[in-house]
Amino acid sequence: MCRHGLARRVFVKAGGLALLSFGVDPIFLTRAAFALKRGDRSAVRKKTLVCIFQRGAVDGLSMIVPHGDPHYYRERPRIAVPRPGAQDGAIDLDGHFGLHPALASLEPLYRAGTLAVVHAVGSPDPTRSHFDAQDYMETGTPGVKSTADGWLNRYLTHSLEHRDTPFRGVAIGPSLPRALRGPAPGLAIESLQSFGLGGRGAGRDRITAAFEELYAGAATELVAASSEQAFEAVRMLKQVNPAAYAPAHGAQYPGSPFGRAMRQIAQLIKSELGLEIAFADVGGWDTHVNQGGAAGQLAARLTDFGTTLAAFARDLGERLGDVVVLSMSEFGRTVAENGSRGTDHGRATAMMVLGGPTRGGRIAGRWPTLDPAARFEGRDLAVTTDFRDLFGEVLVRHLGAVNLGAVFPGHRSDVSRWVGVMRG
Amino acid sequence: MHRVTWIVLAFLALAGTARAQAPADSVERARALHAINRLTFGARPGDVDRVTAMGVDAFIAEQLQPESITDAALERRLRTFTVLRTDQAELAGLLRAARRERRERQMADTAGASMLERARRGDQGSNVRALRRLVAEFQQAPVVRAVLSERQLYEVMVDFWTNHFNVFLAKGPIRALLPAYIEQTIRPHALGRFDELLTATARSPAMLVYLDNAQSVAPGAVPPQLERMRSRRAQARAGRRPQAGSARERADSMLRRLEERMPRGLNENYARELLELHTLGVDGGYTQDDVVGVARILTGWSVRGIDRAPEFAFHEWAHDTGSKTVLGIDFAAGRGMDEGVELLQLLAAHPSTRRHVSRKLCTRFVNDRPPAGCVDAAVDAWERTGGDVREVVAAILRSPEFWASEQRDAKLKTPFEFVASAVRAVGGEPDTTPILAQVIGRLGQPLFLQPAPTGYPETQEAWVNSGALLQRANVALALAAGRLPGVRVTLGRILPPSSTVQELVAAVNQELLGGRASHGTIRVLTAEAERTIRHADARMLVVGLALGSPEFQRQ
Repeated sequence: MCRHGLARRVFVKAGGLALLSFGVDPIFLTRAAFALKRGDRSAVRKKTLVCIFQRGAVDGLSMIVPHGDPHYYRERPRIAVPRPGAQDGAIDLDGHFGLHPALASLEPLYRAGTLAVVHAVGSPDPTRSHFDAQDYMETGTPGVKSTADGWLNRYLTHSLEHRDTPFRGVAIGPSLPRALRGPAPGLAIESLQSFGLGGRGAGRDRITAAFEELYAGAATELVAASSEQAFEAVRMLKQVNPAAYAPAHGAQYPGSPFGRAMRQIAQLIKSELGLEIAFADVGGWDTHVNQGGAAGQLAARLTDFGTTLAAFARDLGERLGDVVVLSMSEFGRTVAENGSRGTDHGRATAMMVLGGPTRGGRIAGRWPTLDPAARFEGRDLAVTTDFRDLFGEVLVRHLGAVNLGAVFPGHRSDVSRWVGVMRG
Repeated sequence: MHRVTWIVLAFLALAGTARAQAPADSVERARALHAINRLTFGARPGDVDRVTAMGVDAFIAEQLQPESITDAALERRLRTFTVLRTDQAELAGLLRAARRERRERQMADTAGASMLERARRGDQGSNVRALRRLVAEFQQAPVVRAVLSERQLYEVMVDFWTNHFNVFLAKGPIRALLPAYIEQTIRPHALGRFDELLTATARSPAMLVYLDNAQSVAPGAVPPQLERMRSRRAQARAGRRPQAGSARERADSMLRRLEERMPRGLNENYARELLELHTLGVDGGYTQDDVVGVARILTGWSVRGIDRAPEFAFHEWAHDTGSKTVLGIDFAAGRGMDEGVELLQLLAAHPSTRRHVSRKLCTRFVNDRPPAGCVDAAVDAWERTGGDVREVVAAILRSPEFWASEQRDAKLKTPFEFVASAVRAVGGEPDTTPILAQVIGRLGQPLFLQPAPTGYPETQEAWVNSGALLQRANVALALAAGRLPGVRVTLGRILPPSSTVQELVAAVNQELLGGRASHGTIRVLTAEAERTIRHADARMLVVGLALGSPEFQRQ
């Protein structure tokens, strides 16, 4: 990437001759030419994948309730979500599974075929440590600790395009998550409004111009490339004017951190800034104590989660046709409730796939049942879908990834193991 | 940059100042600046003059003997850090209390507020808050040391080893173990012998927990307390000891919990990272069988009293009593902990370890792509001295490759180095307020919070990205404007009022950029100063721009 930046700068300033004398790879020349023609904003309209990490291990069994499985009620006498039809019962989806009632806002999306659920998905590595399991899910290499970069970054690295903008990979938050770290550039943005240099108005513009000039003149290769991207991002964002953003179609995001994050992602998508991979965290799922059933702690987290996703879908409108939201969590929780009306660290969980290109309205993945004989170590919901097969299917069918081997090293990608949550 | 260009530039910069210097002096000043850049966390005002006057070689010799340097100002400041006066047992107790408190609040809470939301509302118990404060203070400590210590090379080496033997603050009980890990495991050995440092980390509760060796047991091994509990339950069930229903239920659930938490077999995690990262290196010539052999040898290296007074313990019951082979060397069966002690010596003295760690040191001190000559020099010194880190570092600093002109400014500062050097450049005085640690975190290098055992990268690709550069510029402006709470900055002390813009820019170039500002940078600084009406504002702006400039990002 750095070389690309250098090439572009030299190209702009000195013409093609300088490129030859620097011996720069010709692909960067084409990139430079494309970059110069930007301005046509439709040119950077992209398909976008939004990854949401439910940190802390969400209880898949009470998020997407297997109300048809008697073991669920047997093992959770105090915290089960009641059967559909009962007061505050689960919202039946297919006669066997139901949505937690706090996710009622997602029901219309499921019925409309834009929301699919994959159940019993997880990691082949059996660790029950949050730290290790998150790390494995973000590096995309379960069991291998030393992987330096994240799976999303490897995707970005192996599918460079001519029209990449600084906004191609963006995480909402103070720093890049492990999944986005690596050689391909990524932006961590806490708030679109305050992105860039501090201050406001004319003072801010003046400082920005001064820094841009400092870097245009003196910076060496890598620093020059990054700074050019940085100031380009500031300029692009200024044109978009994030302060003036109003969600469309009457969408109302919750005021929670997750609501604010998704609102900003929608804003970035609609601004056509070339966003391809977005990432946001949502926490509070580690419900060891007093998890609650239809109401309570988990329900409150799910309400925030569901209303945010529903607002996001409504806000995007027809633009949701180019967008897929993929939720993930490091592992699931025990089938049985513990002595503190909570659940402990388990194995498989449920993940959601939302968006226009989704083959929705279905619960995908093989259901291993909650029969103790079918459980992992007689205790936890077994993993029947390797998370890499789900992530891989989304990358290929939605973003057109061609080299899954590079994204998930050590994992043989095999279409027959895909659960079919994507159309096409 | 070529040496000649560099000298010419240094001249140009100096021409604007009152001091006229002889060429020989400017060569020595250039060497002084390079030494300061690499041995320290950046030049303070006047440092280049001081080192030039005392002689660069004398400066290096002094820095290699930190015990001979008095460090009164830092010691005074460190006395204000409560966490440094809190022992591990106290921290473990606080962690236990904080966990209980969190659990109680969670029990009472049906609204499902996340921890983050509760923190924002201030709805947290006093133990949770106290623990958080101590942890934040401890993250600030390395920054304060980097800024204020006179033993700069020593602090650089502490940083190097902290990163080499990385642990992750946020994993389980490590927040209570980290201070002892840094103060008692890493710091005493930072310029000592590598084998002693390696052994200290291998025995440290923090590392044993971080890389799971505390959980690694011979397959089938059962902890004695679980065995006792099982037989007691079996007796109770057989009716030999009558029990009330509730007591039985409690005992059963405790047994279940113990069974669930019981370590099951070998955990290769530490063994693998020990070989790949701490010693031999990924190409160091070991196999998966060696990893298993190492893991088996280290079964039983664990921690006792994790909730009360955590300390290293060797658990006989957990140790694999069979014979093992590692790197073609047989370890006879049944020698318990001695096997591990021998293994660590073997690894510390291995040629692959010498090369791997020497290379990494040269990456830190010389270049992202370390020149072969200085790696060889380090390896030779290592071999000659049996791994005396002080001698290895000295050899690197003596090598011609270290002084080659192309190495000047060849390293990009990490966020930690950037922040520490910026505060030093303006003569800032940080206190216990964890603001600088937070700033470093925002720039992408939260201290003690690298989850991967690799530690943070020593090379620039990891630190240069567009968001981070803007953030650096923001930090530079905020620092210059005195807007970072907990850091006292008095620009008037380092830059007395100058009569002209040219004088101001020349002084900033001299004091903050070591006189190496490019023409472009001089032009921008001058233009911005000229557009500013008040002198104090101009000074603030020029300093902010200089700290955020591309020149200041390098060392």
